[in-house]
Amino acid sequence: MYEKMKARVNWPVTILLFIGLLTIIFPLYMAVVIAFKQPSEMTTSISGILSLPRTWSLSNFAQAMEVTDFWRSLGNSLLVTVLTVVLSILLHSLMGYAVGRNKAHSKVYNVVYLFIVSGMFVPFAILMMPLAKQTAEMHLANWAGVILLYVVFYMPMNLLLYTGYLVNIPIALEEAARVDGASTWRTFWKIIFPIMKPMHATVAVITALAVWNDVMTPLVIMAGSGQNTLPLAQLTFQTQFGTNYNLAFASYLLALIPIIIFYVICQKQIINGVVNGAVK
Amino acid sequence: MKKTLTAKQTYMLITIPILALFVCFNTVPLIRGVIYSFTNFKGFGDYDWVGFRNYIDLFTDPRIGNSYLFTIKLAIVATIVTNVISLILALGLNSKIKGKTFLRAAYFVPNVLGALVVGYIFQYIFTYILPELGKMIGSETFSTSMLSNENTAWIAIVVVCAWQNIAMNTIIYISGLQTVPEDVYEAGDLDGATGWKKFRYLTFPLIIPFFTINMVLCVKNFLMVFDQIMAMTQGGPAQSTESISYLIYNNGMKGGSFGYQSANAVVFFIVIVVISVAQMSISNKKEEQL
Amino acid sequence: MKMRKAVSLILAASVLSALVLPGCGSDENSGKTEIEILQYKPEAAAYFDQVEEEFNAAHDDIHLTISSPNDASTIMRTRFIREDYPDIIGIGGDINYSYYVDAGILADVSDYEGLADINPTYVDILESLEIVPTEGTYGVPYVANAAGILYNRDLFEEHGWEIPETWDELVALCEDIQAEGILPFYFGFRDTWTCLAPWNALAVGLAPSDTCQNVNAGETTFSEEYRETAEKCLQLVDYGPDDPFAYGYNDACTAFANGESAMYPIGSYAVPQILSVNPDMNIDSFVMPANNDPSKNTLNSGVDLMFAVTEECKNKDAALEVLDFLLEDDNIQAYIDDQNAIPCKMGDFTLASQLDGMTSFIEEGNMTDYQDHYYPSEMAADALIQTFLINKDVDKFLSDFDTRWQRYNRDIIREVQEYNEEHGSDE
Repeated sequence: MYEKMKARVNWPVTILLFIGLLTIIFPLYMAVVIAFKQPSEMTTSISGILSLPRTWSLSNFAQAMEVTDFWRSLGNSLLVTVLTVVLSILLHSLMGYAVGRNKAHSKVYNVVYLFIVSGMFVPFAILMMPLAKQTAEMHLANWAGVILLYVVFYMPMNLLLYTGYLVNIPIALEEAARVDGASTWRTFWKIIFPIMKPMHATVAVITALAVWNDVMTPLVIMAGSGQNTLPLAQLTFQTQFGTNYNLAFASYLLALIPIIIFYVICQKQIINGVVNGAVK
Repeated sequence: MKKTLTAKQTYMLITIPILALFVCFNTVPLIRGVIYSFTNFKGFGDYDWVGFRNYIDLFTDPRIGNSYLFTIKLAIVATIVTNVISLILALGLNSKIKGKTFLRAAYFVPNVLGALVVGYIFQYIFTYILPELGKMIGSETFSTSMLSNENTAWIAIVVVCAWQNIAMNTIIYISGLQTVPEDVYEAGDLDGATGWKKFRYLTFPLIIPFFTINMVLCVKNFLMVFDQIMAMTQGGPAQSTESISYLIYNNGMKGGSFGYQSANAVVFFIVIVVISVAQMSISNKKEEQL
Repeated sequence: MKMRKAVSLILAASVLSALVLPGCGSDENSGKTEIEILQYKPEAAAYFDQVEEEFNAAHDDIHLTISSPNDASTIMRTRFIREDYPDIIGIGGDINYSYYVDAGILADVSDYEGLADINPTYVDILESLEIVPTEGTYGVPYVANAAGILYNRDLFEEHGWEIPETWDELVALCEDIQAEGILPFYFGFRDTWTCLAPWNALAVGLAPSDTCQNVNAGETTFSEEYRETAEKCLQLVDYGPDDPFAYGYNDACTAFANGESAMYPIGSYAVPQILSVNPDMNIDSFVMPANNDPSKNTLNSGVDLMFAVTEECKNKDAALEVLDFLLEDDNIQAYIDDQNAIPCKMGDFTLASQLDGMTSFIEEGNMTDYQDHYYPSEMAADALIQTFLINKDVDKFLSDFDTRWQRYNRDIIREVQEYNEEHGSDE
């Protein structure tokens, strides 16, 4: 078995993919180098930009962590991201199921589907002011409000993804369960929800990333509450009259770590999902 | 017989609360926004009703016209570039290769980085490194910064947008490719299908739903391009890269023409919906044909 | 089924509690008057944190909170729309101030005693920013900045270059510098707002200070008033780097700090950024010599930070007490040391050495507000100027400026003209 797998490795593709990786590594190299340099090492000549920092000191990272109150901001970001992802997977897959299984034969569900999906195209700028007012009126100018808004904002795309995936899941599976007397609700949780695992992983990655890097929503909704997410705290490095890119990049790299770990975990799920999905 | 809910009722019970949530935080504020588009609201203080004045102004404002032209041009080119590259990447990453986990994670990194970081790194590349390379190969066009030339700045934006979005598209294609059962290929192998033919007639038809999703997501993302513009050009040089979202945010939120830009946002929303619906129905037809 | 329900109930409960927990804020200062300042300069956050601490240590009846958030303009807008007004806002003396006065958001503080110590030039600058003359004073100017030309003092001394006092001298100086193989100016025009620095510095000397008001009143056009400014601005670009639109503000600061150019036309606010790259750099500045008659030249200076009490503030006396504290000489000195700023209060303050070349103008009160403080930001005058500097078409630029001004200022123009019709005859 092992021999057979090895024999089938596609070397040309592997090599091409590793070469292509340069387009990603080069910009990243620059980010790392900038993160370790001191402002006085910044120059405008090409050799100066590409050179390694004089010392590999972690002082930028330490300072960046202090300026952004790293652990607290990280905690807030994690809280918002995790809750949003969990709620999104639960609610959006349910919605995807209800709508996806009915939109082909029911006009109502088709309208609901198009209605929600078109919400994807609403420019956030037009919602911003009204939402700031509305969340304040509803006493939701806090975490809860931000998370609820995320669940709503990412619903259109996730609904699109879930219904798209549902097409490939044969209806026969559910019918078999129903014949056995299981309710629709139970069928969903017992059969459909587990089968959708690769999609959950995809939705989790997409939603988590969008939430993790989002600045606008917390900025507008929680303005002045004193609570920061990482991207909000990182705005400190960007002021019109002076930008400390060295600190900023150190901080960006720090913020990158949790989400990379998360992606690696989800990726395994996507791969495991194949095994599950292959049971068709 | 206390049989629990019927299928229909269950579907309803799921749909109604979630739909209500959506209406409350998306539709209601949108309607409020539409109402503002008929006023000269600055974002604070009093305002007057101005009827359709904002909408009429939109069609006579050359700046708005240019922003639509720029944004649409960007969206078309970036969508094509992104989809071609990410489909190739996905096929590569889904084949039998060494270091699959590592490669998949590595190719995903651009998407994890915030647009500001990406913007700044590429600014450096476009400002200092590329011109230097251009001088080395003696190319006239590349020896100056692409970002400072109003004819090339948009290409730089395309590059950055594609660089960042390819990752997500690739993932969606990969998860699509994984829904393709092995036996399809086995059957194909028996028929002697190879290379392009195998892709064209076996793989592609099966991942059309994912192709649709990617096209729609790409067009939408690129039409709404904002962060990259903020980080790289702020609409310059010579206002050649003012995207629609950039105008809406910059003039509406930061500046004092909230009412006017709300009208712009309403029109923009309609334009995107029309484009996307057209896209979806075209690819749905394709799907049925295959 | 029951199990599922229980699980989801527990999940929902935990989610809700997690949501509510961090939402609880500070209620510990009961009995004291709460005063909140929201100010728009995050770069001065460290200073304001310290002021906040000192104030609270010295007062047991008032509790002060100063927030210096990033992107304060967005936060201010959203708080206004929520009708959640801070007690005091710290903003710049620009068109936003005009809008806020016009919208009735700010309270009249003309009875405030501290105003007597403020340099009247700056009070007048705020006065003239009002869209239509409004009774009262709505802001207390705190610090100002100035824009002119920063120069590398060591380079100038080494080559024996003199500070120019007329336009011709400036041009001759640039030629000299260029002849020695040194770049006279650096520009960071990719960041469009930096185009406004030389523009403003020239415009204050070449166009009447009330140009914008006069245009609004329908008495003149920019095509008439700005031609010379535009032409001279274009001329300066010739003495800059080959492709000034490739570089941003940061690049330009870095290049100037590394001695790549002898001068840099930008505001005093750039000094901290330049020093962060080269802490030992010997920088001084001079006033842009826009005219050939030195007596016509004036320093481009405007209110960089002012404090305004909001109409909604419940305890105005406490707010004014906070202003008293902020205006204490030691605090102002600490601010100007930190930010290389110019105090708006009269008194014996030590200015940063980088402002030496401008001191005589400041002492004489020969200062004129930035023209761009009257430009609505949505008009994107900076982008228009950038476009012009690229395309070099003066006529098109001036006519574009006029058309765009009319488009984006329609409501203001109407308000001004209605006001003039009503009041014009009595004046």
